[in-house]
Amino acid sequence: MAFDLKTIEALAPDQASLSAASKLTKLSNWVRLESQEGLLWGECQGSGANPYRVVVDAGDQGYKCTCPSRKFPCKHALALMWIDATTPAAFKTASDIPEWVNDWLGRRRKSGGAAPPASAGPAKSIGEAQAEAETRQEDPAAIAKREAAQKKRLEDTRVSIASGLDDLDQWISDQLRLGLTSFVDAASERCRRIASRLVDAKAAGLAGRLDEFPATLLQLASEERPEAAMRELGKLVLLGKAWRAAPGDAELKRLVGSSETREQIIGDPDALRIKGVWEVLGERIETRKDGLVSHATWLMQMTSGTPRFAVLQDYYPASAGRRAQAFSPGERFEAELAFYLARAPVRALVVERGQAVSGLGWPEPADALADPLAAHLARQNAAPWSSETAVLLPAGRLARDDRGKAWWQATGDNGGIALPLAGDLPEPVFGMTLEAAAGLWNGARLDLLAAYAEHGRLDLA
Amino acid sequence: MNEAERSGLSTMRDCWISGGSALTVAPAEWQALVAGAAAEEHELLLLAIAGQAFDVGFRPAAPKTLTFRPALPTLGLPAVPDRHRPLFRSALKNAADALGKLRVIGLTEARGYVSHPLDWMPSASDLEAPGAYAPWVDWQAQASGKGPVLEELSADNWDDFYPAARRVALADIRRNDPAAARTLLEARAGSEPAEVRLPLIELLRVNLSPDDAPYLQSLASDRSGKVKLLAARFLARIGQNQTGTDGEAEAKELAGFIEPGRTGLIRRRTTYAPKTVKNNAQINRRTELFDLVQLIDLAKALGAAELDLVEAWQLGSKDYADADFARMVCASGSDDSVSALARNLMQADGVYALSILLPRLDAGARRDFARLVLSRGVLDDASLVRDVEAGYFEQPDMLDSVMYKQTRAAIAQRKPDDRSVPDLSLFGYLATPGAARAIIADLTAAGLGPADPSLALLRLNAALSER
Repeated sequence: MAFDLKTIEALAPDQASLSAASKLTKLSNWVRLESQEGLLWGECQGSGANPYRVVVDAGDQGYKCTCPSRKFPCKHALALMWIDATTPAAFKTASDIPEWVNDWLGRRRKSGGAAPPASAGPAKSIGEAQAEAETRQEDPAAIAKREAAQKKRLEDTRVSIASGLDDLDQWISDQLRLGLTSFVDAASERCRRIASRLVDAKAAGLAGRLDEFPATLLQLASEERPEAAMRELGKLVLLGKAWRAAPGDAELKRLVGSSETREQIIGDPDALRIKGVWEVLGERIETRKDGLVSHATWLMQMTSGTPRFAVLQDYYPASAGRRAQAFSPGERFEAELAFYLARAPVRALVVERGQAVSGLGWPEPADALADPLAAHLARQNAAPWSSETAVLLPAGRLARDDRGKAWWQATGDNGGIALPLAGDLPEPVFGMTLEAAAGLWNGARLDLLAAYAEHGRLDLA
Repeated sequence: MNEAERSGLSTMRDCWISGGSALTVAPAEWQALVAGAAAEEHELLLLAIAGQAFDVGFRPAAPKTLTFRPALPTLGLPAVPDRHRPLFRSALKNAADALGKLRVIGLTEARGYVSHPLDWMPSASDLEAPGAYAPWVDWQAQASGKGPVLEELSADNWDDFYPAARRVALADIRRNDPAAARTLLEARAGSEPAEVRLPLIELLRVNLSPDDAPYLQSLASDRSGKVKLLAARFLARIGQNQTGTDGEAEAKELAGFIEPGRTGLIRRRTTYAPKTVKNNAQINRRTELFDLVQLIDLAKALGAAELDLVEAWQLGSKDYADADFARMVCASGSDDSVSALARNLMQADGVYALSILLPRLDAGARRDFARLVLSRGVLDDASLVRDVEAGYFEQPDMLDSVMYKQTRAAIAQRKPDDRSVPDLSLFGYLATPGAARAIIADLTAAGLGPADPSLALLRLNAALSER
């Protein structure tokens, strides 16, 4: 059963949703549109770095979207229905249903379908939504006014951040004076206090980093914590100094204050762009103390001689609910990525996503005898304030120490370098020789995302 | 980083840990680096240098006590192909219970595949996992070591084998050379702990014969009560009593719960029926006695031949007496007794009691049992179908069965907002690939979404035909 516009109109929570959905009916917004017997799904590139996955069941008008919107159905689900109603040929008939669609089907309540179309509430009109999309124009005077206000806001922000950084320096000095033992013991409370001050000073980037630091500390053994505190506080000092020297620097502004928008990055002629085949290594979806959910999707380029990584990073309110994965681990596709300006660019956005690709192997990791952390050193040289580096490790195995903690060690390097793992991994992986492994090294722990072994690609994220 | 810097860094760290200034203890080169800055910044700049030194100047070293697990053994069957792994995971995830999971694993093995180790692995104590997984069961139990032995099991290399692999190897030997397996058990089983010894001796059920009697008699003095009971049951199956045991009193007590009678006008026959019991305590005692007493001893106490007792047992009584009797026949009855009771139960639709006999029935009788369950159409009976060959039933067996028709009707008659689906795992497990495809098409036509998760095992079944 296909959707009709009347049903979509009835399902829409309000006129604004219909108007927003109208804009998303352009097929260029959709990376994928597929269907199978009444089930429609697609991936829509929204304002975030990660695409939104949308699935709609035409049978009972059930729907699910991974976007954080609190409107139900959201504009993406409405747009998918709308495309089905007006351009059904846009949906490719799929032979297999993706796992994420299957997962949604499995999680649906066993009784009680989608909420019935709202019969009350404000009137909504598809025709009005289309007309709005076509006729809306920007007023030049309003644009000029907005730009002037924005300029002033930027200057105010710069002054405010500078003041916040002075407070941060003083706070760090206090921690050294009072002793790192007491800092480690009261890290949550102390970091929360200075983070609040930095939020007030519009240094949201730094505030978020400080808020998260106590959780990182707690993952370490108690004897490692003072040293980790020295490393992180030292990096904050460096970041503050660098920002004061170049407050207009895009990377530093982002790390200290707030990030650019998707449009700014896509429109920036200086942004590094790389076309190639990318593999999804894995995703990290974590709820932060400041109430935001950090959603990072790590990609590795398959077509480069040396390993190159990218991360698609989004933040959204935790109150919107835990978001589902935007990609399937191991998925490979052609894409052009635009990187945020940085000394060692990693954060990126997908400018254009092409076909799925199969058959390529991972890039060669460094020789087993070479330093597996060479990439981390290089990154620290370029951007010493950075905290984690994506690394591609040579053949190795996992083992446990006498406390039961997991370690990675290069094959044939007994007694040599071994990297402690951030968490535990499924037991079978401890019986495998990993031909190569990709993960994130933060100076103290290795967070493995994926690996290759005799059993094929292993999803470890 | 030179030695002076290392030493200075260590002192600075100690200084900051306890609180205070590290300026005077910093390496001279670092002091020189910060000297140009304002005095209040010296400490901060030193911290930045020290933090960076920790990050890039040191390498984590392997602890001396790192323990590596043995290599995960490669199994004799290939892993489910990557393209079907999502279906396999989906089928496992949607399995309603342990039996549902076992059906996914069993069907997959019947199609010639094992799971990917990250999708499913048996636990160290999993005795129900198909034999193909035995090396993984043992691997799970090994914290370290050199891994499994790949030679044929013998008395000499007995200790080199881990329990699950040894059990699988011994089962193979028992099937092909029963005497050799018994000799191995005689030589080595006695030194194993009871929890290992019991499942090993249990393997004697295959090709059990009077040749095993001396060894089984020797187990009458085993230190484990469970092993003793198992040996007594095996002896009873071949028509012998365990010497030195006194089950007579219990057999007489159990006989007291049974009422001999006569039936037939012209040809008078003796019948045996359970007496009506008065309370739960009596039911429980009777159940207990059925577990303890061997069939041959009960027959003797009733003054009947074993087979006559089974043939004359009156089915259809209350209080699970048929099931208790079936459990006794399964444990200690001869093959003829098991067949006779199965035949009678099949005729009497005694599905639950019949399901108890499944471990002793051959593949054909097990399939007949599955057919009976399908034909009766009691949806709850689906869980009784165990140990039946996977992927055998063709399209007509399935689609024309009462159980399938009832399942289909339940789906077709659902209210529009009702997404509940009866458990389809029995169909997914029993069907041939063609039948699985036909069921998916038919249930979809009945209103089930083509991607409904409850179809996962059927879809896996259909997909795994493509080798």
